[in-house]
Amino acid sequence: MPIIEVSGLTKTYRVPVKGEGLGGSIRSLWSREYKDVEAVRDISFQIDSGERVGFLGPNGAGKTTTLKMLSGLLHPTSGRVTVAGFTPQDRVVAFLSSITLVMGQKQQLLWDLPPRESFALNRAMYGVDPVRYARTLDSLVTMLRIEAVLEKPVRNLSLGERMKCELVAALLHEPSVLFLDEPTIGLDVEMQVQVRKFIHDYNHDTGATVILTSHYMQDIAALTPRLLIIDRGSLRYDGKLTSLAERVAPERRIVVKGGPSELGELGFQRVEGDMVASLSPEGTNQLLSRVLARWPMVEVSVESPPLEEVMARYFREAT
Amino acid sequence: MTRSAPDPRPEPRLREVLLALARVALMNALQYREGFLVEFLVGSGNVVAILLPLAVVFGKSSTVAGWTWDQSLLVTGFFLLTSAVMGGLVEPNLGAVVEGIRQGQMDYLLVKPVDAQLASSLMRIAPAKIWDALSAVVVIAWGLHGTGMPGPLALLACGTMLVAGLMAMYSLWLLVICLSFWFVRVDNLRYLLGAVTDAGRWPVDVYRGVARIFLTVAVPVALATSWPAMALLDRLDGALIAQAVAVGGGSMLFSRWAWKRALRSYSSASS
Repeated sequence: MPIIEVSGLTKTYRVPVKGEGLGGSIRSLWSREYKDVEAVRDISFQIDSGERVGFLGPNGAGKTTTLKMLSGLLHPTSGRVTVAGFTPQDRVVAFLSSITLVMGQKQQLLWDLPPRESFALNRAMYGVDPVRYARTLDSLVTMLRIEAVLEKPVRNLSLGERMKCELVAALLHEPSVLFLDEPTIGLDVEMQVQVRKFIHDYNHDTGATVILTSHYMQDIAALTPRLLIIDRGSLRYDGKLTSLAERVAPERRIVVKGGPSELGELGFQRVEGDMVASLSPEGTNQLLSRVLARWPMVEVSVESPPLEEVMARYFREAT
Repeated sequence: MTRSAPDPRPEPRLREVLLALARVALMNALQYREGFLVEFLVGSGNVVAILLPLAVVFGKSSTVAGWTWDQSLLVTGFFLLTSAVMGGLVEPNLGAVVEGIRQGQMDYLLVKPVDAQLASSLMRIAPAKIWDALSAVVVIAWGLHGTGMPGPLALLACGTMLVAGLMAMYSLWLLVICLSFWFVRVDNLRYLLGAVTDAGRWPVDVYRGVARIFLTVAVPVALATSWPAMALLDRLDGALIAQAVAVGGGSMLFSRWAWKRALRSYSSASS
């Protein structure tokens, strides 16, 4: 059953146009011209309760604007949005209590105080019962392993610790829809893995719906089976990540680790010490058999093109 | 962690939210103890700087625009009190709204199920302004020592004037802050407002014509400074009190409408 329904969603910003140079700036003081910029253009989709969906697209594509309209921060210029049965921009208490928003580049934690104080403030703001709050906090703190930082001022925490605390602050009221805008940005690889695992487990355990934007393909690959690709304000793709990869980059790569140069006879090329052949999925088994028949002791792997390559190719094709 | 059976979403309780906001505001303020002592010195200097010109003027004349030295002290006292409330409660909070819009923290406040205006207005406090408030009490007591103690009705009228005046000043600040939803940078307007507010340290009768109307209607600082003093001196009639209440209440309603209108235009800082 859809928990999010979006139909014909459009957001247009009216921005001033300045003339070039100092003269243009001076002229714009008394005769300013404006132009309309369509940040989001006629987007429609549905998301079922409990789904994990990734919004992907280049910078300025309209991902964050869409997310902000879904969370009620921005008023759409036209179109219709409902989230959990509510119109987000009405900002009714029941709606705001059932969603959360995490932005990797912004913070809600009180900078000079320990995270525990931000949590307590959020508890009051969401009207969470103290007993339930203690239980949820305990559970989240254990999952994210941040017991040691709860009493340190936020300004003294590392970026990774801060992001974990941001997640706790955002989830204390047990929201059923999570809007996550680049939650792993700037984190080191290990911390990214931890945050991804947490989001995955949280979705699995609670059944909450997760909508995620990220520039890290690993986030998308690990977390969101369904992908919405937004480019220049329009929805370009809505479907499974695997289907997109099959469509855009269906080939397979057979990699023979440190393989002999004779593999060149079968169409292999040397890449950084390994012998690599790219071919269609249908031909993979046949070539693999031929390689193993002749060199039974070599270490072989079959790979799909990395997601970064799939997306780069997708956007190249789209333009 | 597993989700328990669907339950009705709890509603935040106003009293609990207010207490939590006050707690955070105090804890935030007490992070910087050194500032508290510096503010005391600045506050003391401020009182001298405000009283000195008054003393100079009254050195040459026993009354100014119909106000004696003691009566003028009452105006100065209410001016200090207004400055303490504005500087201690209103400016730190509403000033932070501008920063929040620029840097995006406003986003987080707007997705909370609480009144964003209420939370924006109560999250910060500058406790060092307590020195200004204490100075205000001393100066008002000094003035009353000369003018004599007012009756209970005059005290009630004075309180009403003060509340109405502060409501009007808060509303004016909020209106300026609302402009930042469209223009983001409103620093100059804030400085201008601060400078005009400074005119409230003199009895309103010092000003004539347009300037006087300006200070009671457009930037109604006189409502919070001269009018409470006039109430203590039995110089206000029912019509003036009603006028002040109307300005105070009306400006609150108008600024509330403007805030809601501004939220509709909120474009959020891009990430």
